[in-house]
Amino acid sequence: MSQTDTAETTANRTDSQEISTTAGETVEETRPEWTSYEAAGQTKLAVEDLDVHYGDDHALKGVSMDIPEQSVTALIGPSGCGKSTFLRCLNRMNDRIRAASVDGTVELDGENIYQDGVDLVELRKRVGMVFQSPNPFPKSIRENVSYGPRKHGDIETGLLAKLTGRAEPEREEALVERSLERAALWEEVNDRLDDNALGLSGGQQQRLCIARCLAVDPEIILMDEPASALDPIATSKIEDLIEDLAQDYTVVVVTHSMQQAARVSDQTAVFLTGGELVEYDDTEKIFENPESQRVEDYISGKFG
Amino acid sequence: MSRATQTALIRDDRTLYEAVAGTAVGLSGVAFAVGLAALLGVVAIDDPVAGFELSVAFGAVLLALGAAVVGFGVASRFGYVDAAPQPSAGIVAAAAFTGIWFAVGAIVSGAVGLGTGGRLGVGVVLGGLAFATTALPREDIGSTLPAGAVAGLCGLSLITGVVGPGWKQVLVGYNATLFGDTVVPLIVLFASLVAGWSAAKAYGGFGARGRNVGAYVLIYLVVCSILVVLVGLVGFVTVKGLPGLFNGFGVGGAALISWPFLTNGAGLLADIAGVFPALVGTVWLVIGAVLFAVPTGVGAAVFLSEYAEQGRFTGAVEVATNGLWSTPSIVFGLFGAAFLIPRFGNQKSLIAGMLTLGFMLLPLVLITSREAILAVPDEYRDASAALGVSKWQTIRSVVLPAAIPGVTTGVILGVGRIAGETAPILLTMGGGVLPAKSAAPDVLGGFRLSASPPFVSNPSLLEATSALPYQLYALITAGLSGNIQNPQEYAWGLALTLLLVVLVFYAIGIATRYYFRRKLHQ
Repeated sequence: MSQTDTAETTANRTDSQEISTTAGETVEETRPEWTSYEAAGQTKLAVEDLDVHYGDDHALKGVSMDIPEQSVTALIGPSGCGKSTFLRCLNRMNDRIRAASVDGTVELDGENIYQDGVDLVELRKRVGMVFQSPNPFPKSIRENVSYGPRKHGDIETGLLAKLTGRAEPEREEALVERSLERAALWEEVNDRLDDNALGLSGGQQQRLCIARCLAVDPEIILMDEPASALDPIATSKIEDLIEDLAQDYTVVVVTHSMQQAARVSDQTAVFLTGGELVEYDDTEKIFENPESQRVEDYISGKFG
Repeated sequence: MSRATQTALIRDDRTLYEAVAGTAVGLSGVAFAVGLAALLGVVAIDDPVAGFELSVAFGAVLLALGAAVVGFGVASRFGYVDAAPQPSAGIVAAAAFTGIWFAVGAIVSGAVGLGTGGRLGVGVVLGGLAFATTALPREDIGSTLPAGAVAGLCGLSLITGVVGPGWKQVLVGYNATLFGDTVVPLIVLFASLVAGWSAAKAYGGFGARGRNVGAYVLIYLVVCSILVVLVGLVGFVTVKGLPGLFNGFGVGGAALISWPFLTNGAGLLADIAGVFPALVGTVWLVIGAVLFAVPTGVGAAVFLSEYAEQGRFTGAVEVATNGLWSTPSIVFGLFGAAFLIPRFGNQKSLIAGMLTLGFMLLPLVLITSREAILAVPDEYRDASAALGVSKWQTIRSVVLPAAIPGVTTGVILGVGRIAGETAPILLTMGGGVLPAKSAAPDVLGGFRLSASPPFVSNPSLLEATSALPYQLYALITAGLSGNIQNPQEYAWGLALTLLLVVLVFYAIGIATRYYFRRKLHQ
């Protein structure tokens, strides 16, 4: 099943160029001048006129941006500016909040994920997410990593599978090892895969959550302040990991720390109070020579 | 007074005053403990202690405590000791002593022979005096004088023998008599509690620290008395029940262990009458009720907390569940008798009892499961959803496992309640007073397949069956008689068996909870 998926997505990746260009043209008219950033790589996610309301609260106002594939896109801004809300729109996690209503389109490889008939399970398999505070399940490290594939039926475990000979312990082992290695955790935990994940340190737990996300083989990884609950050493490990992951995945990371955005990201989007996307450009450009006075004020600390 | 308002940062010098006050606290504790023992009848109040009756010795101790407590207060007031009292003992202490002294005044003046009006008058005067003494002076006087006087008065009444072993009082208007061997321990408990609190305050040098120590001693003594009630109750039943339970018990022989009380019925053929049918009945009853209530209760809890919109409907279900939980068991029994019995062969049966108790267990399982499911962090649900796992799979593989310890707690509590229920069984399950061994239900072996609907039948589920609490009740209403030797011993053995069965179910539940907690967190 996963093999056909991969074939499909590869096909989508090749198509996406054409579609995103069309999307890009329409977007240009509605955006302020300085956000007309042309992504260097192929566009993976094209967001257009995204509005989010929580009841009467207008949390995001007409946000449009193209997120290029295999790069790190940082979303920065003060608290309450809507950057986490924006992130949660990209895999429709906002559907889980009853009061939230979303208007606009988000195109993943040219397909609008907000149209009718979107399979949320399939969407979230392709768009994985890592949360602010590490949230491993109260299960063993191994079970945490293989949780997604097991539940999707990609790996069969359990008594029935064992009895009927359909269990694939070797495949599970390989998957767990691969995912943990990719998340730079394998060396630290390979001798205690059956221990409870809650016994790991905060930084290890967060890398385990990344491994758990990678095990589902996503194309995009959304990270919501993944290092804000961690100490500096754990944070630098996560940052290294983010840069490394960008070789194979499209990473979108929300962060409070401008230093972190400057260190890890290829392009940066600045949200300011009121749910507006004020500026979106190459990270270097944003931090050295922003177009908008408000962004300059924010980055230099004059305005929070 | 010299350093009364000054507090030292480090208090490591043990003064004579602190030593005496500490001794007084300890003495109060000992008096309290011996008082509890006397109340439970472990020691008698006319036992000799150093040549005196115990009640006189109690009196001497209380008198000494009272004097000591007053002494602490006076010593502190006149600055002989290092203390940090506050300006007043406070309104709560004042109210408490007002009540205490009102009661003392009314009781004492009644004993002297005053009428209702006079007793009220004396009570009000003494109460007012106590209020003034507690609230107006500085804390060191306010929290010692009234307390010391109470303890001293109680001590005097015991020393002089006004209240003693032979004392009794017919309560006019009530068909009851108070005896000295109950009243003396109660006086001791009360007076030592008051004196202990006051001495503890003095030990802590009054003020914030003194209040802290006082509250600590008070809470400690009260907790001890609760423990004593618990241990006393279980111990009482155990001591009374052991002879019956182990009647004819032997190790070795044909069977490795011979335990006739648990393996025999009460028929004429049995040498030693046993409770086997009722024991098996109770075990099956609990198993049946749990099998019915846990799946339905947990299922309903999942629906209410994961699927249903929080609103009027869930609110109504909640009210109904709480109402069901507080419904008297006899009402459940009546429902079972009127609704279930006609549908299961028109006679009292094991299955009717199982279902009735299952209905009783259901609300508690539902309430606790719901709490447990709501307590599972939303992060788990988010994490699972973000991996593209469907809601039901999330519930099954993350939410429910994390909620199992809480669910188990609910089942433990519920089983403790239903295993001892008598009224519903009386109405729905019946069974004999002294059932023979052949009356024990054989549920596992009773299943029969048949060619016509319902294809499976189990006669033992449809027969009247005894259970431990019901048999105990039936035995007592029948006047503890029947074809058995020593019915008293038999009945106590039965009670102990019931207690043990409940404790075993508890133990199983606690072990389950412990197992799943470990699995979740290590």
